[in-house]
Amino acid sequence: MSAAVATGAMGRPPPPPPMTVGYVGWLRQNLFSSWINSLVTVVLAAVLAWAAIGLISWVIVTADWEVITSRVQLYLVGLYPQEGTWRPQVAVLLLSALLGVSWRSWGGTARGFAIGLSAVALIVGVIPHGLQPLNRVLVLAIPAAVGLGYLVSPRLIAGRPRRVVAAALLAIFVGLLLIRGIEGVPGLDPVNTNTIGGLLLNLLLALFGIGASMPIGIGLALGRQSNLPVVKWACVAFIEIIRGVPLITLLFMSRHILPLTFPENIKIDTLYITGITIMLFSSAYMAENVRGGMAAVAPGQTEAARALGLRGWQTTLLITLPQGLRNIIPAIVGQFISLFKDTSLVFIIGMLDLVEMGRVTIQSNLEFVDNGREVYLFIAVVFWIFCFSMSYVSRRIERALGVGRR
Amino acid sequence: MAETSQTNGSTDMPADKAAILELPLEQRDDIIVCEGVHKWFGDFCAVRDVSMRVKRGEVLVIFGPSGSGKSTFIRMINRLEEHQQGRIVVDGIEMTNDVRNLDAIRREVGMVFQQFNLFPHMTALNNIMLAPQRVRHTPRDEAQESALQLLERVGIPEQANKYPAELSGGQQQRVAIARALAMQPQIMLFDEPTSALDPEMIKEVLDVMRELAASGMTMLCVTHEMGFAREVADRMAFFDEGALVELGPPSQIFNNPQEDRTQLFLDQIL
Repeated sequence: MSAAVATGAMGRPPPPPPMTVGYVGWLRQNLFSSWINSLVTVVLAAVLAWAAIGLISWVIVTADWEVITSRVQLYLVGLYPQEGTWRPQVAVLLLSALLGVSWRSWGGTARGFAIGLSAVALIVGVIPHGLQPLNRVLVLAIPAAVGLGYLVSPRLIAGRPRRVVAAALLAIFVGLLLIRGIEGVPGLDPVNTNTIGGLLLNLLLALFGIGASMPIGIGLALGRQSNLPVVKWACVAFIEIIRGVPLITLLFMSRHILPLTFPENIKIDTLYITGITIMLFSSAYMAENVRGGMAAVAPGQTEAARALGLRGWQTTLLITLPQGLRNIIPAIVGQFISLFKDTSLVFIIGMLDLVEMGRVTIQSNLEFVDNGREVYLFIAVVFWIFCFSMSYVSRRIERALGVGRR
Repeated sequence: MAETSQTNGSTDMPADKAAILELPLEQRDDIIVCEGVHKWFGDFCAVRDVSMRVKRGEVLVIFGPSGSGKSTFIRMINRLEEHQQGRIVVDGIEMTNDVRNLDAIRREVGMVFQQFNLFPHMTALNNIMLAPQRVRHTPRDEAQESALQLLERVGIPEQANKYPAELSGGQQQRVAIARALAMQPQIMLFDEPTSALDPEMIKEVLDVMRELAASGMTMLCVTHEMGFAREVADRMAFFDEGALVELGPPSQIFNNPQEDRTQLFLDQIL
């Protein structure tokens, strides 16, 4: 700096440095650094603006959202009996309360989700469309549930963060029980699981798959490294067979071939058998992820553990597995996202998930036959919200666990 | 966890040990006995026909060119590598495939690695508490108390709740030493403990090792810190091409080596 000033003092003053800070500086550096870059920038900006204006005006003016608003219930819960729709909604309220609890305790991510969910609930709750009064009240109750969770949070946790996990498991269990129904309890008659459809079906199947594939996948990965040949080869065979077959084929086989092997008087519940199929499919992939994550743990870690006198299983559970799982958080979440999207494949065995419900709506109603764009845009946005949430949370977890990693 | 007679014997040690350490080195008992030990990796003979005896409380520095089998040798003392021929007896326990013997030996022998090998997902304190809690079934409070004492001993009590990645190399190695000491071993193995450290951190680790040697710990150190060896070692062992070439006190090794190869190697590094 002082050298530049010195030469400036001697002869002509140096030209001012090009502006590199602020918006203007950024634009100049990145978008208008030469005449050809400027041209490209202008043309692309025009194209983008044209597309954005077109999309927005289509969404607001041209599109006919009747196809969505008149059938919200079909998209969300499928053919679930109308008089029972409060049950999944109460399950949602339970999860909302849980979100409120997390907000108070951890802030950050949970707060964003809690506020977002409450805002969406308020908007949906006040839009005039075909919601029954009870359903509307239960939608509007979501912010209240979040608030309630926020208020009881300190008392619930009381210095033991693990209670939140217990509460979450309990909420999910009660929610599932509500959705399925309980034999002999008035007002909670078990529903025919074949009526469950729409987004609820996608979520339930994804929950099955995600919840069970972690423990089963870890078990398979450990089994694959077992010293017992029988265990080892059973795990290898399972993993390789499942991974070698497309999910659609597995779904077909579970729906149409497996029942042939059962006695005739046993009725197989399609929802459960599909859930188990997706769970096993996901477990095989999870097993390979876990194995890769554990293989990436430095060999010195195992040596140090052995030198300290830890047993083989202690070394695995306390040293290799925790580090291995942390290595593969991005892979795990990627798998969950793809699993969630794959649940829409169940249309192949006649289940009415969100995507299939959209297709059926368009094709079986003459008045909606031209509304495909609205339906698929809606479905895309719903899927995107869930998938983006998962990847957002995973990035936050990675960052939080990054402490002390390397 | 079989409570073998050997481990019971060692719990009586402290009184005994103090008495033994009063004796001159030659009159103490042998804590490590190796006879004709061989180790192959495939066709490559990494350690050939090594026989030596280490006295209780002795500090033995092992040195030699890279690939000379010195690391492999000390890794056989706690069976991170298996010897394939010969005998190794550690504090009266024969090294065999018997799991009970192996457990007993691993309790007797602590190890410090070149790359520290701290567990990155645990704080310094938890790194130290892990083995006492899981292997010796020490109650948590007790384990924590002695872990804090050990951190005090290696000079970094204020780093107890930091993760390894938040510590300097020298601090990590000192935690690693504390972690090994937490199992109250009779013998400590050091596998090039300062080779991965910056010069100014080498001293802080060597200081801890000096203090440990002064306390009467039996130590086998693979190291090229010749100043440390001259000052602290009771004997030095020179390894070359898998064989124990020369074994003697530092005065002999430095001033009057009996083997040409020892002289040649020392000329290169000093």
